[in-house]
Amino acid sequence: MTLNAPEKASGQAPEKVLVIGAGMVGHRFVEELVRGDRDQRYAVELVGEEEYEPYNRILLSDVLAGRSDLKAISLPMPDPGRVQFWRGVAASAIDRESGVVHLSDGSTRPYDRLVLATGARAFVPPVPGLGVSDEGGQPRHVHVLRTLDDCRNIAARAINAKHAVVLGGGVLGLEAACGLRRRGVPVTVVDLDAHVMATQLDAPAAHVLAAQLADLGVDVVTGTSVAEVISAYDELVAVRLTDGRIVAADLMLVSCGVRANVELARGAGLDVDRGVVVDATLTSTDPRVHAIGDCAQAPGGMPGLLAPGWRQAEQLARMLTEPTYAEEADETAGPAASQEPVRLKAAGVDLVTMGVRASTARDTDRVITLSDPAGRRHVDLVVRPDDRGEPTLVGVTCLGAADVSATLSVAFDRRTPLPVDPLALLLPDGGRAEESTSPVRMPGSTTVCRCNGVSKKDIVAAWEAGAGTVEAIAGRTRATTGCGGCKDVVCGLVDWLNASDPASPLSDAGTGPADRPLTDATSPLGGGRSTDVTQRNITAPSTS
Amino acid sequence: MTRTHCPYCALQCGMTLTPSEEGVSVTPRDFPTNRGGLCQKGWTSADVLRAPDRITRPLVRGESGDLEPVSWDEALAYVAARVRAIQAAHGHDAVAVFGGGGLTNEKAYQLGKFARVALRTRHIDYNGRFCMSSAAAAGNRAFGVDRGLPFPLADVAGADAVLLVGSNVADTMPPLVQHLGPVRAKGGLVVVDPRHSATAALTDAESTGAGGLHLRALPGTDQVLLLGLLHLVVADGLADEEYLAARTTGWDDVRRSVALWWPDRVARVTGVPEALLRRAAHLLADASPARGGAGAVVLTGRGAEQHTDGTDTVTAAINLALALGLPGRRSSGYGCLTGQGNGQGGREHGQKSDQLPGYRMIDDPEARAHVAGVWGVDPDLLPGKGVPAVELLGKLGGEVRGLFVHGANVLVSAPDALAVRRRISELDLLVVCDFVPGETAQLADVVLPVTQWAEEEGTMTNLEGRVLRRRKALDPPGEARSELDILADLARLLDSPAAFETDPATVFDELARASAGGRADYSGLSHARLDAVEEGLFWPCPAGSDGTPRMFTERFAHPDGRARMVATTPGAPADDLQPDRPVYLITGRVLAHYQSGAQTRRVAALNRASAEPFVELHPQLARRLAVDDGDDVAVTSPRGTAVARARITTGIRPDTVFMPFHWPGAGMANAVTNDATDPISGMPEFKVCAVSVARADLATALHEAPRPDTEEIPA
Repeated sequence: MTLNAPEKASGQAPEKVLVIGAGMVGHRFVEELVRGDRDQRYAVELVGEEEYEPYNRILLSDVLAGRSDLKAISLPMPDPGRVQFWRGVAASAIDRESGVVHLSDGSTRPYDRLVLATGARAFVPPVPGLGVSDEGGQPRHVHVLRTLDDCRNIAARAINAKHAVVLGGGVLGLEAACGLRRRGVPVTVVDLDAHVMATQLDAPAAHVLAAQLADLGVDVVTGTSVAEVISAYDELVAVRLTDGRIVAADLMLVSCGVRANVELARGAGLDVDRGVVVDATLTSTDPRVHAIGDCAQAPGGMPGLLAPGWRQAEQLARMLTEPTYAEEADETAGPAASQEPVRLKAAGVDLVTMGVRASTARDTDRVITLSDPAGRRHVDLVVRPDDRGEPTLVGVTCLGAADVSATLSVAFDRRTPLPVDPLALLLPDGGRAEESTSPVRMPGSTTVCRCNGVSKKDIVAAWEAGAGTVEAIAGRTRATTGCGGCKDVVCGLVDWLNASDPASPLSDAGTGPADRPLTDATSPLGGGRSTDVTQRNITAPSTS
Repeated sequence: MTRTHCPYCALQCGMTLTPSEEGVSVTPRDFPTNRGGLCQKGWTSADVLRAPDRITRPLVRGESGDLEPVSWDEALAYVAARVRAIQAAHGHDAVAVFGGGGLTNEKAYQLGKFARVALRTRHIDYNGRFCMSSAAAAGNRAFGVDRGLPFPLADVAGADAVLLVGSNVADTMPPLVQHLGPVRAKGGLVVVDPRHSATAALTDAESTGAGGLHLRALPGTDQVLLLGLLHLVVADGLADEEYLAARTTGWDDVRRSVALWWPDRVARVTGVPEALLRRAAHLLADASPARGGAGAVVLTGRGAEQHTDGTDTVTAAINLALALGLPGRRSSGYGCLTGQGNGQGGREHGQKSDQLPGYRMIDDPEARAHVAGVWGVDPDLLPGKGVPAVELLGKLGGEVRGLFVHGANVLVSAPDALAVRRRISELDLLVVCDFVPGETAQLADVVLPVTQWAEEEGTMTNLEGRVLRRRKALDPPGEARSELDILADLARLLDSPAAFETDPATVFDELARASAGGRADYSGLSHARLDAVEEGLFWPCPAGSDGTPRMFTERFAHPDGRARMVATTPGAPADDLQPDRPVYLITGRVLAHYQSGAQTRRVAALNRASAEPFVELHPQLARRLAVDDGDDVAVTSPRGTAVARARITTGIRPDTVFMPFHWPGAGMANAVTNDATDPISGMPEFKVCAVSVARADLATALHEAPRPDTEEIPA
């Protein structure tokens, strides 16, 4: 598996790499290519359809929810010294014979190597009134959420909207619904499937999620869809559901998945199926044309998510810049898209799923389920022996258990050793025990002053030898003379020792600590109030 | 009664030495850093003065193969002859110097001068490269100057929030914890550490009543965590845009670079729940002066720095501090907690491979001319840049044939220490100056006995950049001499073109002249002046100045006066998890011991407190490996194996084991650690590598034995 990457830069004109699409995958590819191309063998150009600087599309739902500032989603601008960046122009056609791409502004850009990162667009189902199947345009206030402009338009409409309908109960639809609710807009989510997030969740988890959404004020209707979008004077007024219900709505978001942007490739005569068909080296049927990200259909399928798209960007960049990379490439393919973690980003909901679901586990897998609907918690773990027989975490559904979801992600991603009993995975911090810090109850061997290695036993011994104040204890044992952090504990110990002993130096004004006769005291550790104790067992309170 | 400072860490606690039957006894003294406190190491520090195996005569390895006592004249003549022979055959650079961050400023300065002028070698570096260098590189890059804490430690007490990344001060600098008291009481302490260390425990609600935050990040993910915090600062509109506009450059780049580190991605990489990240970001921001808080401080330690992306990790910490508008503001800022006693001064006066005194760069013609002028030599005589410590150790037995070691014990403290041992045994000449027979001294051809802290005069520069006086309380035993005397004699025997003073006050005056106009300017300081002030003086202290307790209040040290923000990209551990090594090893310190333990392992009370190395592991991992508390556990990487007793605790992540590195022998943690280094600072990645862990009695069956010593040594 090798690419015909150029051998050396010396004396040759740099190879022209033209990247179509400045979304997150195209952007990442350019960054990785420039980073790896130390000899400047490549002259890189990037064409992006949106006017905006590159931004983090993943966070659009956070921006919609008012949880993130626009400033937080701007990505680094490509280094102007290395990358020519054409913003606000679309590629309209590829002329593979001449090796040029025609742009929407009428200009052309030549290439030696073309990288298609054209992404995908929101799929709008053929629903009467949505205006996709007939000539009429969409009624006003019907949106998709794919670009920064979409996000801005929805947010602007949300200011005056009275009721919103979200068509599609997938991750993006639910995030947007929560976001609109946070903006004070009542929301109904309509999902054709029997339950929300049907791609990722089994029914029990989905039901807990629906309850959690209801708590947040998001109304969820499942098992139905929108039969008709009703508008008046081109303004949305309501939707009619397939079960006959009518929901008044003046804002609608269609979130029914995406379709790859393949028109450019198809027009150029490249092999196109659901996406641009590429081989394991991300090369299309034309050896000079690659495709990565949402527009690419690799042997493993469509990425569909950001992480596999990023891996393709990195893979292609490394294949172009590291001569030895090709051999490793097979191993770095990573998990298939279906294995990728999916997280629902919404305030008040903590949901992450990854890998195998409980319902699709094998008979030999161990499936651990925590079902706590009233607590709005549901966790499924799927544990399977790997090829060396070591149990590994191959599936996680974790809802409402934020304390453990990060730990589970690490165990899933890094394949770290699992506890013998996987039940322990459900405990935050691996089940840290509470330790008693009460001076009375702590065992004699407990270190009180860490700085000077002084145990409770040592302090009791010093007290018994006549040190009746914190200062005197410090003088004898050095306890409290480091960071001073144990002063409270030593104080507590001294108070307790003195309180349990009426004849202590503090209550006997005439006797200095050092002179205090041992035989007058009662050891609080010894129990009882005898006055003739001559020897005390300071470690075993029960023996006296 | 002698007023001086503790010999160990960079806190340089004030102490008073009183003559006693045994020599001297120690009592703590009220000084701004320790406020009358001392840890067990400090209290027992006088015991090292009377270590039973103290070296009191020069030793040269004789024909029998043993180290045998000889006279000083014989020893030094032998060293000079061997140096001449090696350099005649292989050139000046064939003899190298390895220094230490525990040496006084005077010794550190003289050692650098000795290397450049008497040995004329470019090869000098020091163990501070293991400790400080990533923070130093990041500080220089961001602020134009590197002073660990650019403010007095006491300022920390006035803050509302303190973020401690990878520092276990409760064990390494216990008296410092006093300064965190007010912050803890407000619930403002945030500790990032894979372990529930003694310091992380300071955030427990039961310990303070208020509670702070402990972020148990996966080893090697500190930078991602910091980028995630900065992302939240931007996303939630918490940045101090006014400060950023007025006092920094590069903010736009940095802000864009964190757009890719949104909270749930960061949670997934670091293992720290998103809710904790959000709380930490807001806690810090609310404490910032710009948002009406009393102040916020960001501090890094070795846990953040000892990584192949350590410089960038510290840079990310600095960027966070700058975004919140902290540096240069009251009770606020970024600081690095320098570790070794003179880790700060040690890196300012010429022990670093690329530096001359006063933090001048050796490849800067003006700097060379100035320093050569002070030394009275031709600038062209000075060698060029050498290489950082790990690279230098890699040359031993190859390009480098002879080595001087001062104040370091590389056989225990260097990463991949078994490889260092193999290389050292290939040397033609190893000269070690030490006061006890440490592991490195035991391999030496020549051991020269030197004075200890209480037996000498000098200055130290503590973690605050505060220059203070070390004073003599008693005479050294036997024939032990100061390195200043030894270096002067050797320089003469080697026909050095420059003179070497031996009186510490005179050497300091020369240092002050050499540093004048440099980044670390000491030219306004002298022993006499430091004797006249109770609490020391802060550099920069040019002639006529009273020193600089707080830096950056008006401007940063770059020519434009602005701090430079640099966007960073996190790297993965150089030696990351794989199927047959599925656990991370992290290394660190225990309270009772210091560095390689050469000193503290000679103190009975400290050995009672902490007798041997151990492997800390989580009960889940222990159960999976059938390990009981106290069992011997083997921790193995391709570099070597360490065997030590299991200490089972829920205070560590189940995917990570911890070992302290103070011991040689079978339990030597650095037999396992990786010597991959940060490309900018040269600092090795002590703080993360992938290991297999097994009960020792099963380990030999499961793994190949450690590599034999006969294996070919890489050049």
